[in-house]
Amino acid sequence: MKRFYIPFIIFSGLIVFLASGLHNDPSVIPSALIGKKIPEFSLSTLHDKNKEISSEDLTGEPFLLNVWATWCAACKEEHEFLVDIAKRSKIIIYGLNYKDNRTAALQWLQELGNPYKESLYDSAGNVSIDWGVYGAPETFLVDAQGVIRFKHIGLLNEEVYQNMIKKLLINRQE
Amino acid sequence: MKKKITYTVFSILLFCISSIASSNSNQLLENRYAEILTKLRCLVCQNQSLADSDADLAQDLREKVRSMLERGKTDEEIYNFMEERYGSFALYEPPFNKKTIFLWIAPSILLLFVLIFLYYRFFRSQE
Repeated sequence: MKRFYIPFIIFSGLIVFLASGLHNDPSVIPSALIGKKIPEFSLSTLHDKNKEISSEDLTGEPFLLNVWATWCAACKEEHEFLVDIAKRSKIIIYGLNYKDNRTAALQWLQELGNPYKESLYDSAGNVSIDWGVYGAPETFLVDAQGVIRFKHIGLLNEEVYQNMIKKLLINRQE
Repeated sequence: MKKKITYTVFSILLFCISSIASSNSNQLLENRYAEILTKLRCLVCQNQSLADSDADLAQDLREKVRSMLERGKTDEEIYNFMEERYGSFALYEPPFNKKTIFLWIAPSILLLFVLIFLYYRFFRSQE
């Protein structure tokens, strides 16, 4: 009987290891930018073609950067929550409008409300590539020093949002 | 007249040589482009390389790779560009570092265990 122990233990270990892998979402790729400065960029805003916003303009206060587009169905679902936190919380939210049509995007904000301090208009998607964006919605948390603290892929909800705020507070205490 | 013919022949020859040379360097760039694309993962449809994928982002990234090649960037610089943004997940050949060491050496360790096991099983037991 004894000679079965070792294979059994190894087998159980393997099962636990593989089973834990089943709960990972393969579509979520950890960001390579966590702990790094935000990439340098300069983009015009969605509302004003002639108004440029650069990465330097964003630093100084913590903010969320939410990647959105009118072609993204999940973004519509998420939008209500963004409008909600923009109302009740003081956190600044910037939008990164990803490969979208300006007119459609402006109309969307008019209809559903605008939670963003500004929306950056990235029609070619080049700035988004620098941020490591590969879909929408995605949300980045950036601290006052301009360092990316957290990235969430997919719909934002209360739980994720609270988690983000906690990270920001821990960072402030350090 | 003779001079004119010589001149014409010479210029035609020159034209041929230069076009062959330029198509060669184009071909070289094209080969590098094709090779790099097979080594980069499409982030949207994850089991396809940038070469295979039809996703919007893959098209943009292919364009990026092409423009970087045309600007004279090395293969290394292009892989780094992708890794900085999307992590080593974007590379089909994972780098050897602290995080991936297990991935790289596990097969050899496993093989070693099997060899030790076989040795004891077949040689030692006969003695």
